Amino acid sequence: MDEIYLDHAAATPLRPRVRQAMARAEERAGGNPSGVHRRGREARRTLDAARTRIGELLEVSPRSVFFVRGGTESNNLAILGRADRVRRDGTRPLLLTTAVEHSSVREAVAQGTEDGGEAEVLPLDPSGRTEPSALNGLLARGPALISIQQVNHETGTVLPVAQVVRAARERGIPVHSDMVQAMGRIALGDPDSLPDLVSFSAHKLGGPRSMGALIVRDRDLLAPRLFGGGQEDGLRPGTEDVVGAAGFAAAVEMVLSELPEEGGRLERLRNELEEGLRERIPDLIVHGVEGPRAPHILNVGVPGLSLDLLPRALDMEGLAASAGSACRSGSTTMSPVLSGFYGEAHAVGVAPLRLSLGWTTTSDEVRWAPEVIARVVARARRALEPDTS
Amino acid sequence: MSDKRILVAMSGGVDSSVTAALLKEEGHQVIGATMKTFCYQETPAHSRTCCGLDGIMDARNVAERLDIPHYVFDVEEEFTRDVIDDFVEEYGRGRTPNPCVRCNSRTKFGDLLRRGRALGCDGIATGHYVRSGPGPRGNASLFRGLDREKDQAYFLWGLAPELLPMLHFPLGGLTKDQVRERARALELVTADKPESQEICFVPTGDYRDLLKKRMKPRHPALEPGQIVDLHGTQVGEHDGYAGFTVGQRKGLGGGFSEPQYVIEIRPDRREVVVGPREALESTALAVNDLNWLHGSPNPGTGVQIQIRHRAAPAPAVVGTTEDGVLTLELARPERAVTPGQSCAVFDGDRLLGGGRILHALRPHPASP
Repeated sequence: MDEIYLDHAAATPLRPRVRQAMARAEERAGGNPSGVHRRGREARRTLDAARTRIGELLEVSPRSVFFVRGGTESNNLAILGRADRVRRDGTRPLLLTTAVEHSSVREAVAQGTEDGGEAEVLPLDPSGRTEPSALNGLLARGPALISIQQVNHETGTVLPVAQVVRAARERGIPVHSDMVQAMGRIALGDPDSLPDLVSFSAHKLGGPRSMGALIVRDRDLLAPRLFGGGQEDGLRPGTEDVVGAAGFAAAVEMVLSELPEEGGRLERLRNELEEGLRERIPDLIVHGVEGPRAPHILNVGVPGLSLDLLPRALDMEGLAASAGSACRSGSTTMSPVLSGFYGEAHAVGVAPLRLSLGWTTTSDEVRWAPEVIARVVARARRALEPDTS
Repeated sequence: MSDKRILVAMSGGVDSSVTAALLKEEGHQVIGATMKTFCYQETPAHSRTCCGLDGIMDARNVAERLDIPHYVFDVEEEFTRDVIDDFVEEYGRGRTPNPCVRCNSRTKFGDLLRRGRALGCDGIATGHYVRSGPGPRGNASLFRGLDREKDQAYFLWGLAPELLPMLHFPLGGLTKDQVRERARALELVTADKPESQEICFVPTGDYRDLLKKRMKPRHPALEPGQIVDLHGTQVGEHDGYAGFTVGQRKGLGGGFSEPQYVIEIRPDRREVVVGPREALESTALAVNDLNWLHGSPNPGTGVQIQIRHRAAPAPAVVGTTEDGVLTLELARPERAVTPGQSCAVFDGDRLLGGGRILHALRPHPASP
């Protein structure tokens, strides 16, 4: 086996049918959707069709689907657009979030506080659960927004978004959810309980990179962060990525239609992978097992390896995985996600490894991977022995 | 195709770039590795991730050109502990540290090498101008580089002896001009990069800026004190002994009848002792933190020592070692034997090991 690709949570390869949809859009819709001519109209029609299709699939109004350039932009627009909107009314925005969010939420919240806001963290236990009293106490402070992801990007833990939506709605507080890792991996639930703002990214679904959406229930919740030609109802100006939108819609359609079967398949493969690793590495720590988990992520910790080495060592053997979120590779601190779930002390002396599965994953891959990983771990432990004394 | 997997420490400079290219040409499986040793930029705490280091970018660019994998290893914690903290502490003790030697023995051939082994590498290579090969009894040894202008064996006395068989130094037999030619022929972006001379973690070029940042407030090394002559008479004032190094002439103020040099630093009294050039001469020196690549040489052995980069080797005789302190008797007096600096010990071109200079032994020691 030449390559074992277990980094679908970072990027999943473009699906052939998505590629076809994009090629068709490229042929048909080469114009600028703002053009008044035939080509412009064709581009507009293709863009609108993608928007309508995504609205139908998510059971939301197409008018609530705003195309943006990926998950990071979507999360930033939701959080900072909301903070700006509230500030414009003369209120100092309070932003609630959890300690385990993706960096594009965490850093946007940090920027929101630097811009003259406040932030509070909703405590979660390792299973992802939150105490109703803690939640209600924070909501009682009248935050501008509460942002909670649906599926954690490092551990796969499913967070209680529906519970937060119910509690927040009673008080009229808007909720944002980063559902980048949830789409196509778990059922998104009843459309009525969908948060007011939801972020998606296309390339986690086998769609194109630099494409995403923010679902916005009520346009008035947000102030724009970019200014220009008024595209996307002024929330995301700039010439629209028509081809990307067409690919995105095709990817959403595929993953949602396949979800019941594919979710089960990934879960079986993930469990096989987990068992294989536990057998070969007896002191392996598995993160995220305390609560409900999305089927495509397995996050393990290898004690005795304090260095961010495993993904590189595995790459040498043709196995692609990551230490955590791809967006933080190279940083000096241990995963803020793991310390968010398990506390600061946990991450010390444990090398984290995120193995994530997707549509290309085969049972051969999950059978081979534990062999390769166990071999690399044994070698790395030998090499690092002088350091661990 | 060789079955050897070799980790090349790539700094982003021309030497390590050509090192990787040469080993690849020899048919080895080459892996490029760049150490991220410290954060150059002061960035807001919440967005403190990887820095946009030019060196890392250049190394990656070269690796892509050579079609070899390239990884960045974050050794900031270890580098800070073993190199930067030591640098600051040594100046605090009135000594003059040698951070590049510490980085080689602890970080590059320690932390980076361990990571390389974890990746399954059986060798490590750097762009040092030194040669590795069999010694007189066939055992793996290190020798001075053929290009005497560039020779860097001095910086490697601290390597662990068990590493010797794993080391590759493909530039040891080349001149700098030849290396640059190779880089140009390979169209490497680093071909005409200027030499790095500064201490990498002192971007301002003035190490006192770093000391001010990292030493405790009101550390005696940064407080004013007296400049005294060899008889202990005050002849001036200084603004912190950390700004001085033995042998230095500049910064002592004027008004002396003959040129004055720093002869000694006495941290306990915050004194900088100055004297005429002759007072800098030593006939012997005491060295500690010893490291030997082939076992400690017997007392009475004739060796050559090098007490600063680019200094000519000085003939010396190995004396006794007591409590980890070795005495070396010099055949001819040497100037400015500087505490904290390295003393590399050679047998001809062959590196035997070395240590850190504890103090000079002088025929006429400065009076207390």
